[in-house]
Amino acid sequence: MRDQFEKALYITRKDIRVYYLKAPNFTYGLLMPLALYLAFGSSGNISATTLISGLISLVVLFGATSIEAVAVVSERTTGTFERLLVAPVTLRWILFGKALGGAAFGPILAILALVPVVLLSGARVASPLAVFVAVAVSSFAFACLGIVASAYAKWIPEAQMYSNFLRFPMAFLGGAFISIESMPEALRLFSRFLPLTYSIEALNEAMANTMITGTYLVDILVLVAFSIGCLLLSEKVLKKRLS
Amino acid sequence: MRTINTPAITATDLHKKYGSLTALDGVSFTVEKGSIFGLLGPNGAGKTTTIRVLTGLTRLDSGEATVLGFNITEENLRAKARIGVVPEVSNIYEEMTALDNLIFSGELYGVIHTERKGRALELLEEFNLVDRAEDIVLGYSRGMKRRLTIACALMHRPELLFLDEPTTGLDVQSAHQLRDQIRRLNKEGVTVLLTTHYLEEADQLCDQIGMISSGRIVALDSPERLKASVTGDRVVEVSFSAPASERELAALLGVVEVRRLGDKFRITYAGMGEPVSELVDYARGSGLRVETLNTLKPSLEDAFLKITGTPPDEVLREKEQQKQRRMDA
Repeated sequence: MRDQFEKALYITRKDIRVYYLKAPNFTYGLLMPLALYLAFGSSGNISATTLISGLISLVVLFGATSIEAVAVVSERTTGTFERLLVAPVTLRWILFGKALGGAAFGPILAILALVPVVLLSGARVASPLAVFVAVAVSSFAFACLGIVASAYAKWIPEAQMYSNFLRFPMAFLGGAFISIESMPEALRLFSRFLPLTYSIEALNEAMANTMITGTYLVDILVLVAFSIGCLLLSEKVLKKRLS
Repeated sequence: MRTINTPAITATDLHKKYGSLTALDGVSFTVEKGSIFGLLGPNGAGKTTTIRVLTGLTRLDSGEATVLGFNITEENLRAKARIGVVPEVSNIYEEMTALDNLIFSGELYGVIHTERKGRALELLEEFNLVDRAEDIVLGYSRGMKRRLTIACALMHRPELLFLDEPTTGLDVQSAHQLRDQIRRLNKEGVTVLLTTHYLEEADQLCDQIGMISSGRIVALDSPERLKASVTGDRVVEVSFSAPASERELAALLGVVEVRRLGDKFRITYAGMGEPVSELVDYARGSGLRVETLNTLKPSLEDAFLKITGTPPDEVLREKEQQKQRRMDA
């Protein structure tokens, strides 16, 4: 297992070197959430802290899912994914390594977005470490979601389309722009099935409290469980598709 | 128990279907250690599926395959650690340098950290890429990319190398270099399984050839024995001092086929007829002079044609058309 973990880390490092500077990652990862934030952020009835949490979560969501669309689908179309598959490393660990690569991209984008927003708004970050953990775990969860979308797609635009199908409803129903409490009962229930809801909630808790709260821990656990579920699903789909 | 006498590959009654399409229909063969085994066949015959099964990329519906003594289904990772795979299309990371590509392969195959760079440089030297070691692969020629792909597959010193169409699309010089490298690797003890559409290449390189058609092995023998199996017909290659009529040549006694090959004709005779005297008489009667005249032994191409019923030229043409369609798409 240690050997497989090490190989997964080599895949992560390779993905960071090969895919981080691809243009779609920045356009989708940073510009898209910022545009959404500017368009809808000021119209909702939610606090500045929640808006900042929402923006950061969106940046992480769009960034981590975008990088996986490039890193998984382009490798499948160019044949380099098969280079990984014929190596002595299992598909599960390949996907884990790829998810880590996407997950590492989220915090970079989050810092790029968080620092100016916090400085400009004067918002308080009560527990920076808890914020970092929430960003890292969210990023991993969203990277895994991106892998699921990529597993079903043949081309990068197709993967982006599937990702958008997941991302946009989440952006509006996950509490980034509209308070979940103000939503109708059915939508409130629906929002509980969206990983973005837990990401925003965990960030909110970390920004507002110096101590770790129960809600924060539950949010992190839900995101971890979501990640494992996504990885297992993409493994199953890819195994079928690749065979 | 894996002994030194264990064959490099055993394939026993391999079956694989993709939906209603039967890709492998009871493929069985053995590849001895230290040999070069060629898998030949028309497009869609099952060559690539066989390689995908043996390299652990595709699961079998039924049958059993062992690679270096390891069952490819149950001991997948152990087998993979000892083999090198070179697919038909180069699969290197074009955004990375040649050196980084090699080191990444070393990492995936568990080459010890302290040995990775040294081994990579050794391979770059061997494959004439050392001057471009630090360049991004994107700017490499097709031949260089091919050589680098093979070098990557050799980083961990595999005991068995799978080569899918290793020289397709390469210029004559690069293909020649690559064939020399394959021979050298084999001399060093690496077992090679290759697929190729160039029958002359298979003839020159392989100790054993398996011809596959419609998912079945239809012939399995050494190149010389396969050629010897084509009996009955005699083939003559002739060129004249001036253009001759293909139609008139075809009408000569015993001629079953006439093919124009540049400035000469390849004429196949059935059992009857005396090719040499017939052609000399024909030349005299037509006011021509025979420039060259060679009687040929049956080639591997003749054996391929007879066994699979598909002309190799057609195989290549089909392959090129498929490639073009892919590029258009």
